[in-house]
Amino acid sequence: MSLLSPLFLFALVGIALPVWLHRLQTNATEREKFSSIMFMEQSKQRIHIQRKLKYLLLMALRILFLVLLVLAFTKPVFFVTPEAAATEDTTHHVIVLDSSFSMREGDSFDQAVRIAQGLADDMGADDIASLYTASGTVETISALTADPAIIRGSLNNLEPDNGRLDIGAMVTALNSLITSSQANFIIHFISDYQQSGQAIRFADMVPDLINGRPVSLSIHQVKTEDVPNWSVVSVEITALDTVRVGLKNNTASEQSAEKTVTLAINDVTQQSLTQTFAAPADGINYLTFENVVFEEGDNRLDVSASPNDSLPEDDTRHTVFDNSPPVPVILLSADPESLAVTYITTALETAPRGYQVELKNINDFDPRILQRYPWIVIEDIGAINDSLAQNLQAYVDGGGSILAAVGELSLGQTSIPVGGQTIGGGLTFNRNTSYKVQRVNTSHPVLNGTVGWNNLAISRVLPIEADDNSNILINLTGNIPFLLERNIGLGRFLLLNTNLNNTWSDLPVKPVFVSFIAEAARHLSNEELLVKEQTVNSFLPLGQNGGNSGQVYNPSGERLLSLADTTQAQNIQLTETGYYRIVTLGRDVLVAVNPDARESDLSLMSTQALQNWETMVSGSAGNLELIDGVAVSSVEEEPVAIEIWRVLLILLALIVLTESLLGNRYLRFNTGNA
Amino acid sequence: MQIGQNDNRNSPTRLLDPSVLSSLSNLELVAKAVVEGFVMGLHRSPKYGFSQEFVEYRPYTEGDDPRHIDWNVYSRTDKTFIKLFKGETNSHLMLLLDTSASMGFGRTHSKLQYGKYLAASLAYLASRQHDAIGAMIFNSEVVQYRPPTSKSGTLQGVIHTLDNAEAIEGTALHKPFTRFREHVKKRGLVAVISDFYCDPEALMENVRPLALHGQDVIMFHLMDPEELNPNIKESTLYEDMESGESIEVSPVFMKEDYPQKIKAHIAAIEKTAQGMNADHILLKTNEPLDRALHSYLTFREKRA
Repeated sequence: MSLLSPLFLFALVGIALPVWLHRLQTNATEREKFSSIMFMEQSKQRIHIQRKLKYLLLMALRILFLVLLVLAFTKPVFFVTPEAAATEDTTHHVIVLDSSFSMREGDSFDQAVRIAQGLADDMGADDIASLYTASGTVETISALTADPAIIRGSLNNLEPDNGRLDIGAMVTALNSLITSSQANFIIHFISDYQQSGQAIRFADMVPDLINGRPVSLSIHQVKTEDVPNWSVVSVEITALDTVRVGLKNNTASEQSAEKTVTLAINDVTQQSLTQTFAAPADGINYLTFENVVFEEGDNRLDVSASPNDSLPEDDTRHTVFDNSPPVPVILLSADPESLAVTYITTALETAPRGYQVELKNINDFDPRILQRYPWIVIEDIGAINDSLAQNLQAYVDGGGSILAAVGELSLGQTSIPVGGQTIGGGLTFNRNTSYKVQRVNTSHPVLNGTVGWNNLAISRVLPIEADDNSNILINLTGNIPFLLERNIGLGRFLLLNTNLNNTWSDLPVKPVFVSFIAEAARHLSNEELLVKEQTVNSFLPLGQNGGNSGQVYNPSGERLLSLADTTQAQNIQLTETGYYRIVTLGRDVLVAVNPDARESDLSLMSTQALQNWETMVSGSAGNLELIDGVAVSSVEEEPVAIEIWRVLLILLALIVLTESLLGNRYLRFNTGNA
Repeated sequence: MQIGQNDNRNSPTRLLDPSVLSSLSNLELVAKAVVEGFVMGLHRSPKYGFSQEFVEYRPYTEGDDPRHIDWNVYSRTDKTFIKLFKGETNSHLMLLLDTSASMGFGRTHSKLQYGKYLAASLAYLASRQHDAIGAMIFNSEVVQYRPPTSKSGTLQGVIHTLDNAEAIEGTALHKPFTRFREHVKKRGLVAVISDFYCDPEALMENVRPLALHGQDVIMFHLMDPEELNPNIKESTLYEDMESGESIEVSPVFMKEDYPQKIKAHIAAIEKTAQGMNADHILLKTNEPLDRALHSYLTFREKRA
C-alpha cells in the first residue's frame, strides 16, 4: 500500500485525545474510597472488568475511527498485480508487436497479429504473457496474465500508427517495463525488421539482465524479402510559381517505375504529371511543376504519386508554403536620408522571409501603433526621447522586440535607453584605433547561421558596460560588447554597439550584415520557433505569440488542448500525418506532418544480423548464474493502483454506528437505568 | 425527650447537633457550646455533680489545682484542704482518640471530626467537674500523649492536642495501649474514641490489662451512617483508606450482606467490651452528642 498524501499522518497525534479522555473517565468515576474493606467481598460478576473492557472497546473504536479518517485523507492506494500463477516451469512470454508506420505495408500488421495470436494459443499451462506494441514509444496493451484469451482479446483492436521504431529504444523501454517480473523470459518480437530500425550500436539491442533470470529472443518476421517502395520525400518551392518534387526509390537496387504525380494546393488539384522514373538504388528523382498558382497565406501542398504501391501512405506528402506578403516592420530613424536607413532597408527586404520596411521619423512617431508590429528596428537608440523610451519599454515588456544600433546621438548618453546598459568612459575616437572581434556566441539563434564577423573593421564603439541581465553575444578586444541581448518582460532588446552608417565599422557593407539581419528578424519575431514541416511524433513548440500558446487542431479538426492548456502548454506532440492548425491571437498557422522518411525504406535487416542479435541476447542470459536452475517466484508486473478511500468511508460509517450504540449503553449505565 | 430531634433553632441543645458544630472553627468553642447546652438541658440536676452543695474536705494532693484549696481552713489549721461539692470526684479522664486513616471517612463530616467534638466536649465536661484530663492521639503509633493533670491550662492544652490530629496511617491498638499502661498508673476513666476496625480478640487483649489495672474503660464506637447502610446502585471499586487495597463489590452484596457483617462486628466489639466490664457506646456521626455525654455521666456516676 502506498500513501499519496502522507503528510496527513501528522494528524494521528489526535489519537491522544480519546486516550486522555478515557483515562480521565475511568479514573474519575470508578474508584471510591471507603473506611475499611475488611467486611467486603469481591463481586462474583466482575462487572467492573466487563465495563473496563467495554471502555477499552469504546476507546479502541474511537482511535480506529481517527486512524481510518486520517488514512482516508492520506489517499491510500493498493497496487494490485494481475493474478498469474508462477511455477517452476513458468515462462514469461513478452510479446512485442511492431506497430510502426512501415507495418502499414500490405498485410504486414495483420500477419503480425496472427503470429501473436498463435503465440497466445501455444502458451503452456504454467506460462504467463504480456503484450506490448512498439513504435515511437512502447505501450503496454495487456499486463501480465496467465490467460491466453486476454492476450487474444487485446489483439483485436490494434492498428499500426505513424511512428518510427528504433529497436534500441524499444529494448530500453522493455527493460524498464518488465524489470519487476522474475520468471524466465522469452521476448517475442514480431516485426518487419526494417534495416533502418536497427540501433546504431548493436549492444543497445540486447536487453539488460532481468532480475538474473534467463532471457531469450524469439524473432518473428512478417516478411522475409525486401519490398519495393516509392515515396514522395521532398516538396520544394524553388520559385513563387515552381514546385520541385522528389520521389525516392527505397530499395537497394536500381528500379524504374511509371508514376503519375499530382500536385494539389488547398485540396484543389492543380497539375498532374506522368513520368517514368528510373532511379538508382536509394536514389531520388525530381519532377518540377511550373506555373503553379499559390493563394495568399499558408498553402497546403499535397503531392501524391500513383499508382500506389504496397505502402500507399508514403505516396503522399504534405507541405505548407507560406505565401504571405512581406511582414511590415518599423524602422525608426532621426535621419531618414541616412545611409544607415538604406543599409537596413536593403538587408530586410532581401531576407528570405521578406520584410516590408515602414520608415518612421523618430521625432514625429506615434507610439500607439507599436502594438501592430511584433518587432521594430531603431537606427540610433540615442535619438529617442524619454517619453518614447517609456512607450518602448512598455512595448518590450508586453512581448515586443527591438533591434537597435548606437550612433552619433548616443554619444552624450550615460546609459542605453530601454536596454538600461551603462555607457562608461575612457574610450576616445581615434582614426587609427581598431577593434577586433574576440568571441562570437555561435550557439545563439541570431548568430547561428552567420559567418564573417572576424573580418569586420571596427574603429569606434561606445564603452558599454554590460550588466548581469545582458547576454553578450559578440565581444571585442578589451572585453567591449559589440552585440548584446537583454530579455525585458516578455520581449527582447538586441543592441549593436556600432552605427550603421559605415563610419564606425564596415558591418553594413559586409555580407554578414544581411544574414545577421535576417536571423535577427526571425529571432525577434519568434518565427524560428515554428518549423512548418514536421515529422510524426515530433514536438511542436507553442510559445510563438508572446507566451500565449493558442488552440491547436489536429488533421481531423479536433481540438487538442483544454481551455487551461491554451495559455500554459509549451509544446504538443504531433502524432498524426496531415495538417495541424495553430490558432493564436492574430495568427493562423498550418504545420504539415509527414511520417519519418526512414520508415519508407522497407529493406530488411540481414539474416546474419538477426542471428547475431538472437545469439547475443541468449548469450547474455547464458552467462547468468541460475538459482536452482529455474525460476520459482511469484510474479508481478504493471501493478494496478486501487484507491481504498471508499472502503475506509464505509468502515468509518460502521464504526460511528457501533460507537454510538456502545456509548449509549455506557450512558444509560451511568445514569442508573441499566 | 430526644434532644437531638429538637428542631427549635433557639434551643441551646441545637448546638449538640454535629452538623451545626461543624460550622464552628474553634474546637474549644465547640466543647463549651456542647457542654453548656447539655448542662442547661439537664435542669441543673444534682445527680451528675453540677450542684454547689458542699460535701466534705479532703487533703490537697499533688496534681490538684491550687485554686481549689480552701484558704480559710488553711488559715485556721495551717493545713491545705480541698473543698468538695456533691458530684465532684477526684478522678482522671484519659481520652484516647484514634486518628487512623479510616477515621477520615464521612459523607458530611468525618468520623475524626465527630471524635474531636466528642473528646473536646468530654474534656470540657470533666474540667467543669475538676477532673484531671489527659489525652493520647494514636493510629498505628502514639502520635501525641498528654498525661492527665488538673493544672491550669490543661483543658486548652488537651483541646489543642485534639485539634491538631489528622487521619493518617492504619490502626494498631497494641502500641498505644501498652504505652498507656506504662505511663498511667493511677486509676481513672479511659474514653477510647475509635471506629474499631480491628479484630475483637486483639481489642480484648489490649484493653483487658487496663481493666485489670483498675481503669474504667468506655468505648465510643464511631460509625458513619454510610458505613452501616451503604447504598450503591452499581458495582463499585472500593479502595481501603488505610491499606490502599481495592475491591470490587456488587450493589446486592452491599445491600444485603454487608450490613449483616458490620452489625455482627459491632456486636462482637460490644461483647468484648462487656467481657472487660467496659462500656460500649455506638455513635452514628449524624446524631447529636448529648447521648454520648449522657452515657459518659452515667458511666462516671456508676464508677464514682
